[in-house]
Amino acid sequence: MNGAAVIVALRVAATPQAAFTAFTRDIGTWWKSHPLFQLSRKGDGALRFDPAGPGGRLVTRFADGEEWEIGPVRHWLPGERLAFGWRLPSFAADQGTEVDVRFEAVGAETRVTVEHRGWGAIPQQHVARHGFELMLFQRRLGEHWRALLKAMAERA
Amino acid sequence: MSAAVDRTLAALADPVRRRAVELLGQRPRSAGELASDLGLAPPAMSRHLRALKQGGLVEDGHPHFDARVRIYSLKHGATDGLKQWLAETEALWTHQLAAFKAHVESGE
Repeated sequence: MNGAAVIVALRVAATPQAAFTAFTRDIGTWWKSHPLFQLSRKGDGALRFDPAGPGGRLVTRFADGEEWEIGPVRHWLPGERLAFGWRLPSFAADQGTEVDVRFEAVGAETRVTVEHRGWGAIPQQHVARHGFELMLFQRRLGEHWRALLKAMAERA
Repeated sequence: MSAAVDRTLAALADPVRRRAVELLGQRPRSAGELASDLGLAPPAMSRHLRALKQGGLVEDGHPHFDARVRIYSLKHGATDGLKQWLAETEALWTHQLAAFKAHVESGE
């Protein structure tokens, strides 16, 4: 079990299927670069899933035409789950992180949960990770670590 | 994500080591004390402490009154890189998910 995961979630007014489609098909449109956390020195570029579907990759194309593969798609389950590797130009060659996006119906809306795990170069594909309880556990774990790290910083 | 952050994460990947870090976060302890707090045999404790040292999370020294005793403590600033990565990553996704929500709900 990993001790460092960032989990961010929110609800959107759309079905899980529509949210998944918009997330993947329109990532080049909705992704907004932010000056404080850019994906590279050249900015974020235009992101896309190429090809869109299982076995594809998340790629970005910078203004100068250079392309960068952010990571391979590991799970592509429309309306349910999207997972991909995440490696930026600033990372060392053998280092990667993993992003897992889940789409869950909540009434007429969809809860979109992004979990970003900092890990070594080994994707945890073989680890069965599903079920609400496990997700709650991991969320608590992330919060636990943030609180712990904060407390450690205050003591230092 | 730097190599240092990666090493820190690897050191923290083990629940026993996370517990050891929590204990050392309270106050410095000897290996023997940690082993008994965690219910581990000394050799196992040594292996975990070695991993934590390699991960740059803990350091060891001797109390000035007894050079035979080795005391482990959390390294100052050891987790700064990790904390920064967590904070930046959280800010990134908070920002991007908000942008995604605006896009989906605008019905484009």
